[in-house]
Amino acid sequence: MPDQELGNGVSLSMAPYTGPWTKVEAGHLLRRTMFGPTNQQMLDAVSNGMAATVTSLLQLPAIGQPVAFHPDETIATFGSTWVNSVYPSDVTQAGLVDNARLFSLAAWLMERINSEQATIAEKICLFWQNHFAASTNIDTRAAYEYHALIRTHALGNFRQFVKDITIDPNMLLFLNGATNTLYSPNENYARELLELYTIGKGPQIGPGDYTNYKEEDVAAAAKILTGYLVDGLRSDTLTNVAANFTPILHDTSTKTLSSHFGNAVIPDNGANEYEDLIDVIFQQDEVARFICRKLYRYFVNYDLTAAVESTVIDEMANTMIANNYDVLPVLSELFQSEHFYDVSIRGALIKGPLDMLYSMLNTTQSTPGFDLATDSEMQLSVYWFADTMGQGYAAPPSVAGWPAYYQEPSFSKLWVNATHIKTRFDVSAFMTIYGGIPVNGNNWEIDALTFVDGLSDPYDAPTVIDDICDVFTPKDVDALQKLILKSILTNSLPDFEWTLEYTDYINNPGDPTYSDPVKQRVNLVLARLFQMPEFHTM
Amino acid sequence: MKRRNFVKNLALASVGTPILLNEMKFQTIGKKLFDVAKSAEDRVLVIIRLNGGNDGINTVIPRDQYTEMTIQRSNVLIPETSVLPLTTEVGLHPVMTGMQNMYNDGKLGIIQNVGYPEQNRSHFRSMDIWSSGLIDNPPATGWLGRQFDVDYPNYPDAYPNATYPDPFAISMGYETSSTCQGLMANFSHAVNNPFDVYNLASSGVLDDGTYYGSHMDYLATLIDQANAFGAQINDAANAGNTLSTMYDPANPLAVQLQYVAQMISGGLESKVYILNINGFDTHDAQVSTTDTTQGVHAELIRRLSDAIEAFQDDLALLGLEQRVAGMTFSEFGRQIASNASLGTDHGDAAPLFLFGSCLDIDIMGANPVIPDTVVNQAGIPMQIDFRDVYASVLKDWFGVSSTDIQALFEHSVTFYPLLGACNVGLEEEELAKESALIYPNPATYNATVRFSAMNEWVKVDIYDLNSRQVAQVYDGNLTQGRHDIPMELRDLPSGQYVVQIQKDSGNINAKLVKMD
Repeated sequence: MPDQELGNGVSLSMAPYTGPWTKVEAGHLLRRTMFGPTNQQMLDAVSNGMAATVTSLLQLPAIGQPVAFHPDETIATFGSTWVNSVYPSDVTQAGLVDNARLFSLAAWLMERINSEQATIAEKICLFWQNHFAASTNIDTRAAYEYHALIRTHALGNFRQFVKDITIDPNMLLFLNGATNTLYSPNENYARELLELYTIGKGPQIGPGDYTNYKEEDVAAAAKILTGYLVDGLRSDTLTNVAANFTPILHDTSTKTLSSHFGNAVIPDNGANEYEDLIDVIFQQDEVARFICRKLYRYFVNYDLTAAVESTVIDEMANTMIANNYDVLPVLSELFQSEHFYDVSIRGALIKGPLDMLYSMLNTTQSTPGFDLATDSEMQLSVYWFADTMGQGYAAPPSVAGWPAYYQEPSFSKLWVNATHIKTRFDVSAFMTIYGGIPVNGNNWEIDALTFVDGLSDPYDAPTVIDDICDVFTPKDVDALQKLILKSILTNSLPDFEWTLEYTDYINNPGDPTYSDPVKQRVNLVLARLFQMPEFHTM
Repeated sequence: MKRRNFVKNLALASVGTPILLNEMKFQTIGKKLFDVAKSAEDRVLVIIRLNGGNDGINTVIPRDQYTEMTIQRSNVLIPETSVLPLTTEVGLHPVMTGMQNMYNDGKLGIIQNVGYPEQNRSHFRSMDIWSSGLIDNPPATGWLGRQFDVDYPNYPDAYPNATYPDPFAISMGYETSSTCQGLMANFSHAVNNPFDVYNLASSGVLDDGTYYGSHMDYLATLIDQANAFGAQINDAANAGNTLSTMYDPANPLAVQLQYVAQMISGGLESKVYILNINGFDTHDAQVSTTDTTQGVHAELIRRLSDAIEAFQDDLALLGLEQRVAGMTFSEFGRQIASNASLGTDHGDAAPLFLFGSCLDIDIMGANPVIPDTVVNQAGIPMQIDFRDVYASVLKDWFGVSSTDIQALFEHSVTFYPLLGACNVGLEEEELAKESALIYPNPATYNATVRFSAMNEWVKVDIYDLNSRQVAQVYDGNLTQGRHDIPMELRDLPSGQYVVQIQKDSGNINAKLVKMD
């Protein structure tokens, strides 16, 4: 724990921030809402101002669907989407096809992050993936629909989101909702709905009583949710997976919740009964507080002090309730608040693996840019890098998501134990100085030239280093470290030598004799920077 | 994790204690204490986490209650004739031949019905409880981490160093274990492959007291540590050996245990190794549709059983059996009645395994009682508190004093003899040389200090935490044997004190709390 924490002089105010608006503040906003902003995106944010930037960040772009690229995909044609394609009848073949679709989904998720515009889209989708934390199950079409649902509701109405996810086929499979029947209630989903998705678990204050709900609520909720099956799994005739309410498997008894829900009585309402349950749960304002705490920990700071709880969280929850559980107004207020821009918040989070990898790639505008199969395999490689470092996007380690987002007291420090930091360093060296990810004879590496060309004054060595530090690190890098970086850039020669090298490169477009040395120097600087602790925070 | 360390760190922890510090140096140089303690000091505990909640009833099977089990869980029930018998009442799942062999060799212990009071069926809360050993408090530290904090203060800043070049605990895989979470950092070092070389770049950044500064400091420390610990681990792995041919390379747990054997035999001084198997959350398809002895759960416990048998075999071949003991745990057992998905839902207590050649127990506790009617959501009630298992392991295996152990937990600890079979001789010798019992403690007006002496001159004094002598208790010759020396405490202000016993056969420091 830091000595100062959120003590004296730290603003806990949710009033609109009115202080300086420079690259420092804009960079903070973009780093927290995106994976890796470019120098230009930071400059745009400065000139557009805070309010306009937040408004534009909170718009979700339309996107495409994952497409077939893998040789094992035998149904959908190469380059077209498989999300509404049947499976082969042969079980073994269907397994291979599903695996190909899983690869395609994973590559697509990575490709989405890698091609992010200046919007919160990918960051908020990862938030919800961490919140609901469902892995893929049996049929990747269902997994795709689950991720599509996340996109649909990412900034929308939280109550409706929970309703839809409750009968989402992938979720029904993931937490055994699809086997929860009148004859054998399965509590798995009901428990997580209360504990992890909506109201959260408070301290245990009695036998089976967790402050916000009781064991009997878990049992009642399980009964309420009975009767949903999943149709179409790996079907050779049905083009999609669907939830199917089967009345004879539904428990039609009248269910009563505990005193924590005002002893609410929920009579039989068939296929819509789950909505009645969720409406009852959402009558408790604790739901707003619970989700706002998670949003705060994800976007702002892991340290939920009593002072933050009684000010920032209170205000966020009030905003959420006043807006009928819409997410967007809460984030809009948060990202324009004094508290969010308090200097103590900058650098308060350690980057997760996906943040680390794609801040490296996106900030340098590095995309693969070969053919579909090659690009997809390359994105898959990054997927596996992240997985090795503890964050496989499509498969959170448990239904609570990634521990770094919830586990006290270490939180984001959990991303970097001694093994993970080694992997981080290995990968960053790989992407800069060791040639990148090789697939089909092509290599995906950091695009050092495009990156340096996009800086404010690439001819000037000190400016190059300043810009590099500005875009990649949340606070000032100290003068000595900058000097070391600059000496790497100039190969310990006077600054003007870099200017000459860069000028030669610009004057001789396409000539590797001039571009290679520039590329090499920038890559060496980046390799060093990516091994500095500063880079691993945001 | 020896009393010696506790004393030493008491000294380090309290600022301005020259006498105790000097004595600490004397003890280290004197070697006497060190040699005695060495046998316990070298000990290693291997902990295997069964993540997800293991179905205890289908693991350690109550053979005497088949009628009831048929009522409760016929769709997942192991056929009576397939069960591997241990006793007339208790059997193992048919895939657990490895553990059956170990049981027959006296190297497997089973503690029945282990759990915690008022079982909470959340995975995360339960795992927090099992990892921290705390029920009431928010789980900021792990149960091992708290003991490590006592033994090795100022971690991670002052480590590694010349005395402690190795990580205190190894967590196999990519994640550190929350059982080893200390106040400032996690004491476990994540190792995926000990043969993988570490050589990371670093950079110096100051902690300016902000969140950011604390992260900078943390990362920089981590990088230095990763390099230093990595080199040690790598050296140990290269110097070590493994001899058993029973490890199955397709069994991930066996592969990891083989690495552990390699590191221990190579001289790594880590005290705890933590391993993990995922997948025990068997809400559905726990057993195969055609054969209840097969399926997901069977495969998981087969791996567990096979891997531990191979590891124990290796330890015997390497001559390490007396130094290594093991334990499994899972956050909860599963409900007595199965569900219709060929699975079982979150329950309460479950059996826990100990393994090694120093066991005091074979099967401890009676079979769970399976009712003859299905009660919705019913689990197996707890009979043994998991914290008492932890406490007993710390006492038997690492020789931590009862007082120190009690300080780690919230409840009043009960000790069971679990892993003391190799302690014969050691205990008496230790008692003579390095332990003292103060009772009552905390004390009000009077207390007695009990210790053993040879025929020798003994001086007993009481110091406050600023190293000021506040009372002289005894100064004279004592005969060989145990002595009870009364202490008059009436004049001391309430607070913490150290009773120091100086004698040729080894000095002793014991903590005393005075209350009004």
